[in-house]
Amino acid sequence: MPMNKSLSKSVMVAALLAFSFLLACAPGAAPQAAKQELRANLAAEPETIDPNKAAFSTQVTVIKQVFQGLLSFNQDLTLKAVVAKEVPSVKNKGISEDGLVYTFKLRDDVKWSDGQKVTAKDFEYSIKRLLDPALAAQYASFYHDIKGAKEYNTALGTPKEPKKPDEATLKSLRGGVAVKATDDTTLQITLARPRNTFLQLMALWATYPVRQDIVERFGAKWTEPPNYIGNGPFKLTEWVHQDHITLEANPNYWGTKPKLQKIVLRMFTDLNAEYAAYLNNELDMTRVPPGNEKQIIADAQFKTQLLRNNEMVTLAFQFNIAKPPFDNALVRRAIATAIDRETFIDKVRSGVGRVAYAWIPSGMPGHQPDLGKQYKFDVAKAKKLLSDAGYPEGKGLPLTSFQYADTSGNRVIAQFLQGQMKDNLGITVNLEPMETKAFQQLVGQKKFQWSFFFWGADYPDPDNWLPEVFGTDGGNNLTQYSNPKLDDVLKKAAAELDEKKRLTLWAEAEKIVIDDSPVVPVAYRERFFLIKPTVKGLKTTSMDATLPGDWFYAEVSRG
Amino acid sequence: MSQYILRRLLWLIPVLLTLSFITFALMHLVPGGPWDREKQLPPAVVENLNRKYGLDRPVWLQYLSFVANTLRGDLGISYVHQDRSVTDIILNALPITATLGLLALILTVALGLSLGTAAAFHQNSWLDYICVFYATSFASIPGFVLGILMVIIFSVTLHLLPTGGWGTPEKLIMPVIALASIPAAVLARVTRASTLEVLHQDYIRTAHAKGLSQHIILYRHTLKNALIPVLTLLGPEVAYLVSGSFIIENLFSIPGMGRLFVQGVFARDYGLIMGTVLFYAFVVAVANLVIDVLYGVVDPRIRYD
Repeated sequence: MPMNKSLSKSVMVAALLAFSFLLACAPGAAPQAAKQELRANLAAEPETIDPNKAAFSTQVTVIKQVFQGLLSFNQDLTLKAVVAKEVPSVKNKGISEDGLVYTFKLRDDVKWSDGQKVTAKDFEYSIKRLLDPALAAQYASFYHDIKGAKEYNTALGTPKEPKKPDEATLKSLRGGVAVKATDDTTLQITLARPRNTFLQLMALWATYPVRQDIVERFGAKWTEPPNYIGNGPFKLTEWVHQDHITLEANPNYWGTKPKLQKIVLRMFTDLNAEYAAYLNNELDMTRVPPGNEKQIIADAQFKTQLLRNNEMVTLAFQFNIAKPPFDNALVRRAIATAIDRETFIDKVRSGVGRVAYAWIPSGMPGHQPDLGKQYKFDVAKAKKLLSDAGYPEGKGLPLTSFQYADTSGNRVIAQFLQGQMKDNLGITVNLEPMETKAFQQLVGQKKFQWSFFFWGADYPDPDNWLPEVFGTDGGNNLTQYSNPKLDDVLKKAAAELDEKKRLTLWAEAEKIVIDDSPVVPVAYRERFFLIKPTVKGLKTTSMDATLPGDWFYAEVSRG
Repeated sequence: MSQYILRRLLWLIPVLLTLSFITFALMHLVPGGPWDREKQLPPAVVENLNRKYGLDRPVWLQYLSFVANTLRGDLGISYVHQDRSVTDIILNALPITATLGLLALILTVALGLSLGTAAAFHQNSWLDYICVFYATSFASIPGFVLGILMVIIFSVTLHLLPTGGWGTPEKLIMPVIALASIPAAVLARVTRASTLEVLHQDYIRTAHAKGLSQHIILYRHTLKNALIPVLTLLGPEVAYLVSGSFIIENLFSIPGMGRLFVQGVFARDYGLIMGTVLFYAFVVAVANLVIDVLYGVVDPRIRYD
C-alpha cells in the first residue's frame, strides 16, 4: 500500500523536524526589554482608572503615573507640593488660624498632556465630581469634612433611609460644596470642622485634577486612550483590556522629564504565571509564590534581585465581641497571649513580615514599639488568663468557629490558629471556610464569630486607623467594640490641631484598644519582590500601591 | 430543512428566557453581593451605587427591566468595570476565545482524525501503537498540567515561547496545544474504533473486490461512515472550545471569555454574569444545531422534516 508508507514517512519526518528545531534553539533566546522600558505585572485589569472613582491599588498604580495632584508624598511620606506652589500652612497663610480655610496657590506652568494649562478650575471640577452621588465614588466619604460635601454626597440617603431629591436640590447642593477656584491659580477649600489630616487627603488620587471638557465629551469612554488626558510624567497610549496597559513618557510633561520611555503593565492573574514570566525575562519585577521565599533568600543569584520593604499594613485576628465567649476581655487577652507570633512569621509567612503587638504599624507617626508587649507569647500566662475568665484548661468554653475566605493563604492561617489554640490553651476551634463574597457579607453583617483581617494605610496617620475601626460609629468596626472612654479620646484627637498633642491623644486611644483587645495584631506585612538588577533608582515607600516604588517611576532608569 | 432550522432557532427564545430567569434568581440568592468587600463601604456610598445600578428597586422589576434592555441589545454596565458596558466587555473577549477555540478545534480534528484513521488502516502496526499510546496517555493528562509542563520547558528553561498573554502568534502555541490535547486524544480513539468497525463491513470488502483504489475506499466509503460518531463527539467539544476554558485562560493569562466569566461570578458582577451565561447558552445551542444539520449532510438516511 504505497500511500500508507508515505504517510508514516511524513509523520516521522515531522517528528524529527520538531525535535531538531528544539535542539537548534537552545537556551538563551530570552525576550529582552527595550531600552528605558519597565515591564511589571499589575496582576489584574484595573476596574477603572478614573481618579475620582478609583478605590483599589491596581487602579491607583496606573493613575499615579498619569496624574499629579496639588500635593504628594516624599519617600519618607512627608508632604510635598506638586501642582501647588507650596504646602499650605498657617505660617504661609495657606491655612486660616481656625484651621477651616485652605488656600492652595497653584504653579502656572503645569500642563495637560495635550498642551492645555492646568488651572484651579480643574481641581474644583474634580472634587465636586468626586462628591456627586450619581458618580457613586467609593472614596468620597474621605472628604465629608469639606463644607457642604456630606450633604451633597449623601443626598440619596442610605439603603435603610433612601431619599429622592429633585434635580434642582442636587444642583444647589453641588453649588453648596465649599471648593472654589477664585482664579486660575488659586483654589480655596472651606471645611465644616477642622481636620488635621486634610492636607494628606489632598495628596491622594481622588482629588487629582480631571478635565471637564474631556469627561463631558467622551462620557465613560474618557478613560480609554487617547482620551485619557492627564498632567503626569506618563501618558496612556494603549489599553488592551485584561491583557496589558502601555504608558509612554509624556512629551508635554511640565516637570523633570522621566527617564523611562515606556512602562508596560501586564495582567497576569495567576501568581505562578507572573513568576514564570519573570524567569523568562518577560517582566522586570515579580511577586514570589508563597513558600518559595526561604529558598530564594538562600539562592546566590536571586539574592541580588531581592526587594523587601515594610508596608503599613497590620494583619490581625478580630473577635465578634457581642457574643460569648468573646464578650469577655479576659478570654480575648488569653488568646492574644497564646499566639506565637514568631512562629507565625517564620512558618505561616515564610519569614516575611514583622511581629506585631500594637495596632498602628511601624513607619507611621504615633507607632508605639512597646505597646502590647504584655501579650508576648507565654503559655502559662495565657492559661492563667483563661482560668481567670472562668474556663480553667478551656473547660466549659463554648465551641468557637473561625470563619475565613477559602484561599490557600487563609487556609494556612486558619490551621495555624487552630493548632495554637489546641496546643496552648486546649481550646477546640471549628474552622469554617467560605466563598470570598459570602465571607465578606457575613463579616459585614457582623454575623461572624472570629476572623482574620488586615488594615492598610490610605494615608500615614492614626486618624485613618483608629476611629474607623474601633470608634463606636466606625464604619469598619465589625467587632462591635464600644468603649465610651475611647470614643471621647478619639473625638478629642480628631479635633486637635497641635501635632504633638494629637499624637499623644492617638497614643492614649491605641492603648485603650490594645488593653481591651477586640483584635489581636499578629504581624505587619512586608513586600517580597524580585527585581532585575538593571532597574536603577527605584524608591519604595511603606505606602506603595500594587507595585513597589510606584510613586517615583519618573525617577527610575534602566542601566 | 430550513423549516427545521427555523423551528430550532425559535425554540431558543423560551430556552434563553428560562435560563436567564434561573440565573438571575440564583445570582440574587447566593450570599454576598457586588458591594461586599473586606473593607466595608459607607452606607451612603452603597446607596449611591444601588441607585446607579437600579438595585434599589424590587427584584422582579430589576429582572423585567433586564429582559427589556436585553431585547433592545443593551446588557447594561458591568458592576465591576464601571466604565464599560457588558456588551463591550464580551465583544472584547469573544474574538480572543473564538480564535483560540477554533485553532484548538482545527488541531483537534486534524490530529484526532489523521491519527485515528491512520491507526485503523494499520491496525497492530507501530503507527497504531503510537496512536493508542498517545490517545491513552494524553487523554489522562489534564490540559493545565500539560500547560504547566510546557511553560517550564519552553519558556522558563529553553526561553523559546512567551509564558502567556495575547497579541502575537507565538503566544498561541502552548494554549492551543494544552486545549486540544485531550479532545484530540479522545477523538483519535473514537475515530480509530469507528473506522475499524466500518472497515470490517461487507461493502468495504465489495469495494476491494471491485478493485477500487485505496484512496477511493478511504475517502468515499470509509471516512464518511466512520464520521457519524465523531460528529456526535464534536458537538459538545465545539461548545467547550469556543466558550473558553477558565483554567487554560488563567494559566496563560489570556483575556478570554472563560476567565471573564469566572471573574464575574467571584465578583458578583451581575451584569457580566447574565451576559456571559446567555451568550454561552446561545453558543451551545447553535453548535448543537450545526452538528445536527451536519448529520444530515454526512448520512443521507438522517432527515429532518
